[in-house]
Amino acid sequence: MGENFLEIKDLKKSFGTGEARQDVLRGMDFTVKKGEFCVLLGPSGSGKSTLLNIIGGIDTPDEGFVSINGDKLEEMNESQLTLYRRKHLGYVFQMYNLIPNLNVKENIEVGAYLSDNPLDVEEVLSTLGLQDHKYKYPNQLSGGQQQRVSIGRAVVKNPDILMCDEPTGALDYKTSKEILALIEDCNKKYGSTVIMVTHNEAIKNMADHVIKLRDGVVRHNDINEQKISAFELEW
Amino acid sequence: MRNPLIKRVPRELKSEWHKYLVIIIFMVVMIGVISGMYVGHDSMLAAVYAGKEDLNLEDGSFELSKKASDDFLEAMSTGEKADVRTYFIDKGTKEADKEVAKAIDEKLNEEVTAAIEEGVRTQCAAYGIADEAMIKEQISAAMDASFDEAVKTAQESEEYKKAVEDAYKEAHDKVIEAVDEEWDEVSDRYNLDEEISPVPVIIYEHFYKDAAEDSDCDGTEDATVRIYLKDSPIDMASFNEGRAPKTDTEIAIDRMHASNVGVKIGDTVKVGGKEFEVVGLLSYVNYLTMHESNTDLMFDAFGFDVAMVTPEAFKKLSARTHYSYAYLYENKPETKIEKADASDAFLKALITQTLVHDYEIEDYLPEYLRQSSNFAASDIEGDSAMVSILCYILIGVIAFIFAITISNTIEKEASVIGTLRASGYSKRELVVHYMSMPLVVTILGAIIGNVLGYTVFKNVALNLYYNSYSLPSCTAVWSNTAIIKTTVIPLILMFCINLFVIVKKLQLSPLRFLRHDLRKSKRAKAVRLPRWSFLRRFRLRILFQNLPNYLVLIFGVIFIEVMLCFAFGLPDSLSQYTEKAPDMMFAEYQYVLMGSKDNDGNTIETAEESAERFSMTTLLYPKKKAAIREGMGSGGDESVSVYGMVRDSAFIKLGNDVSEKNVYISSAFADKFGLKKGATFTLHAEYENKTYEFTVTDIVNYDGGIAIFMDSDSFNKVFEKEDDDFSGYLSHKEITDIEEKYIATVITSDVILKVTHQLEHSMGGAMNVFKYALIVMTAALIYLLAKIIIERNEQSISMVKILGFKNGEIGALYIVPTAIIVVLFSVISFVIGYILMVWIFHVVMLQMDGYFAFFMKPSSMVLSILYLLIGYSFVSVIDFIRIKRIPMDVALKNVE
Repeated sequence: MGENFLEIKDLKKSFGTGEARQDVLRGMDFTVKKGEFCVLLGPSGSGKSTLLNIIGGIDTPDEGFVSINGDKLEEMNESQLTLYRRKHLGYVFQMYNLIPNLNVKENIEVGAYLSDNPLDVEEVLSTLGLQDHKYKYPNQLSGGQQQRVSIGRAVVKNPDILMCDEPTGALDYKTSKEILALIEDCNKKYGSTVIMVTHNEAIKNMADHVIKLRDGVVRHNDINEQKISAFELEW
Repeated sequence: MRNPLIKRVPRELKSEWHKYLVIIIFMVVMIGVISGMYVGHDSMLAAVYAGKEDLNLEDGSFELSKKASDDFLEAMSTGEKADVRTYFIDKGTKEADKEVAKAIDEKLNEEVTAAIEEGVRTQCAAYGIADEAMIKEQISAAMDASFDEAVKTAQESEEYKKAVEDAYKEAHDKVIEAVDEEWDEVSDRYNLDEEISPVPVIIYEHFYKDAAEDSDCDGTEDATVRIYLKDSPIDMASFNEGRAPKTDTEIAIDRMHASNVGVKIGDTVKVGGKEFEVVGLLSYVNYLTMHESNTDLMFDAFGFDVAMVTPEAFKKLSARTHYSYAYLYENKPETKIEKADASDAFLKALITQTLVHDYEIEDYLPEYLRQSSNFAASDIEGDSAMVSILCYILIGVIAFIFAITISNTIEKEASVIGTLRASGYSKRELVVHYMSMPLVVTILGAIIGNVLGYTVFKNVALNLYYNSYSLPSCTAVWSNTAIIKTTVIPLILMFCINLFVIVKKLQLSPLRFLRHDLRKSKRAKAVRLPRWSFLRRFRLRILFQNLPNYLVLIFGVIFIEVMLCFAFGLPDSLSQYTEKAPDMMFAEYQYVLMGSKDNDGNTIETAEESAERFSMTTLLYPKKKAAIREGMGSGGDESVSVYGMVRDSAFIKLGNDVSEKNVYISSAFADKFGLKKGATFTLHAEYENKTYEFTVTDIVNYDGGIAIFMDSDSFNKVFEKEDDDFSGYLSHKEITDIEEKYIATVITSDVILKVTHQLEHSMGGAMNVFKYALIVMTAALIYLLAKIIIERNEQSISMVKILGFKNGEIGALYIVPTAIIVVLFSVISFVIGYILMVWIFHVVMLQMDGYFAFFMKPSSMVLSILYLLIGYSFVSVIDFIRIKRIPMDVALKNVE
């Protein structure tokens, strides 16, 4: 792994005011290296999705900063943030959020269009095992297939960071493992830094870097020296 | 790489075809009908204006008692006034000289004869001759011998010369005195002493004959037909059907008249007792309406006709030839004032030249005052008001539809938008993407609508005009008004509304889109409901949850009611006006005279007891011009009738507070322009550069017209008339003791009815088109509105289906609240729609001449609510089918 690529410093975020105020992030610090497969682990309400959204530039912290490759997100205006997401990030959501009236290939092209240096769409389709489905519409696909398309849309941009928010949250065991294997493949094949939010403890075993969150703070920040492949995971 | 999102547009169109089809139908009907009306309107006006050029419409005409000489026509074409005074003095002097010479000769002869006789008698007496016979013989001999010599001697005497000179001088002075006296009166009457700028003209013979027409050859006269020659180079005709006559048994007649009396090409008509075959149906450029006389208040296309025959046929007709001459100015006057000045100058030239050349003027009319050529055009010009009302309403509806459609789409696609924004799509890219669909739909609707407007609907508008007037055939012209009002404005509106809604919505963070959190304010605590049955509480919850959607629905229902009020109210308003118009007259008979004095200079009187003198003129009230509608048909200033009434008038009660500046105004005038007591306003003359300022002293309850009232003395002072001048008589009963030749026109309730029936006849067709178009659009709108509620609740409906609710129960949950809202607000919306319509109608009335208020019959009010409810009932059925079709996996899968 290379240099520190992502730096999180004293990150705080709260929602609501007065009695209803809820501190979601209460001062977080950690770094992620380039090309690392990083898993943010924690139970519901631990602040992991909020953290991912702040890293993704679609939410802002109350205090602290996020720096990517030396650029602080807080110093970016809205259009710079858009450009940042466009050039550097790929997003995979729990709910796949595919565009219903575009077919599989076109949904992936939606990602490719944004990148100056996109991967070959056909190649991504093959990698994701979607060649046979490329002309199908999202509602003709299973949940797992839809999530593959969602990954394809994110990966095809050839992003520096692939942000995955509970990508297997809506999938069964077998499909979940397939999806995780795909993300792993992309990480290896294209060198993207992967930041994956999950509450599934088992997934930590396939990560290079595991950050456990609880009540808005980092409880554990471990480098996994004995990571296993996605297919070896059990839960 | 092309943005792959573009591919969504055609697919979206395909998958949501029913929604977009409804919107496109709405746009097509709106654009088609309104554009058709404007295109028809502008095309017809263009044809009328082009006809004036192409068919060589005269600038005026005059008719003489006999055929004019070349000298006269040559003198007239210079436009110069003849020096009538000098002419008559010369003429009088010549005649006087003859008379004087004759008188002198007679006197001299008499005196010389007497002197010779006296000399002979004196001599005879000296010689004692007393025989009378001998004396007479001597006198006769003396006469023969010395008469000539004696005359010559007398003529050479100074005394004689002086006497002759005096006689001539006296005669000449008398001639001058007589001519001056006569001239002063004539020149006073016609202002002939004023210097004029001569208006050179080109004069054309334009003879005609008036004959009886028996259009069905049944032996009874059906109409009067005015027959012109085929080869006339001025005031020519265009042929709507058929051709010009070629033989002396062929005739071409007016198309409108033919249609009214049921004559077709190939039919035979009897004109002046002779049979003719109708070979053409035409429209004369100077007879767009069948006004037989220029003083006719209303045209009569049944009882009057114009026709064209060959010169041979013309000669053979036994009717009297009218020696009418039409003229064209060599330098065309442009403005109304210039036209008035030119015609004034020409009239002076005509009067003086006819005096000098010894002709009598039978008729004179400048073209700008000719009803038969101007009435239709000015009527058409002011005719776009109804279309404007409809246009404004529909633009509002279109704006509304786009606003709800786009906000619906954005809510529906919240996750997609959130994902795209999170992935790095810029706001601009998304704005462009979401703008493209409504733009495509509008452009599609606009193209189809305009095509239909320029083809099908244009003809509907043209037929309306052809039903009323004898208009030339026309071809569609490009109408800026149509394109601006029906296409550019909706496009801009749609663009702006969508841009506003999309940009505003996209201000939200991608996260909020991802969370479907698009509301500005967070929902407050749930309202506690009473212990009603579960379904009832559930239904109420749905109602609360959908409050914003119901607000949209209510807005839509208001729009629907505005449209239905228009559809039902417009014919009602018109028929109400038709019914009430005769009652609106303040006198049963209104006799407008040619002048207040007869040919002998005596004031025209009547023995009718209820008759009362009045004076009248027309001034103009300045109106604000409509911003968009300029050029053809933009309408001029409001025409105001100014009445001068006797002080204790039985027709209009005037107080003592009226004066030259303080006037009473009609309630129609006050209502239309919002004039109140004490308000000051300025009127101006149409053909002169004069303005008049008045103050409203009181308002007279008279809705029949835009009018002001003052006492006749003030009237005569204000308008510089003679003290005893007046325009005519108002009367409760018919006046029978005024010669017809002194009456310019008589306005009775029959005439008013003729006018209003004509109005109904002309507009009836348009109103039906509007009515059906509006009903189609109403249905389209309610379909779109009801769809929103179901669409926005798709997820919940799917969920309750999963839970085991039956379709009927779901229908009761989701359709019943909507039904309650629609029923409840149908009445309220009707009231709001009605008030809006009254206001819109008033605003539009300001743009046209005259005034009548918006009116709806109670039955129409009920119908406009009923139509909404019936329409909604159908939509409810469609809604129920829609509910049945919502699949359960909508809630299970994240299928958007």
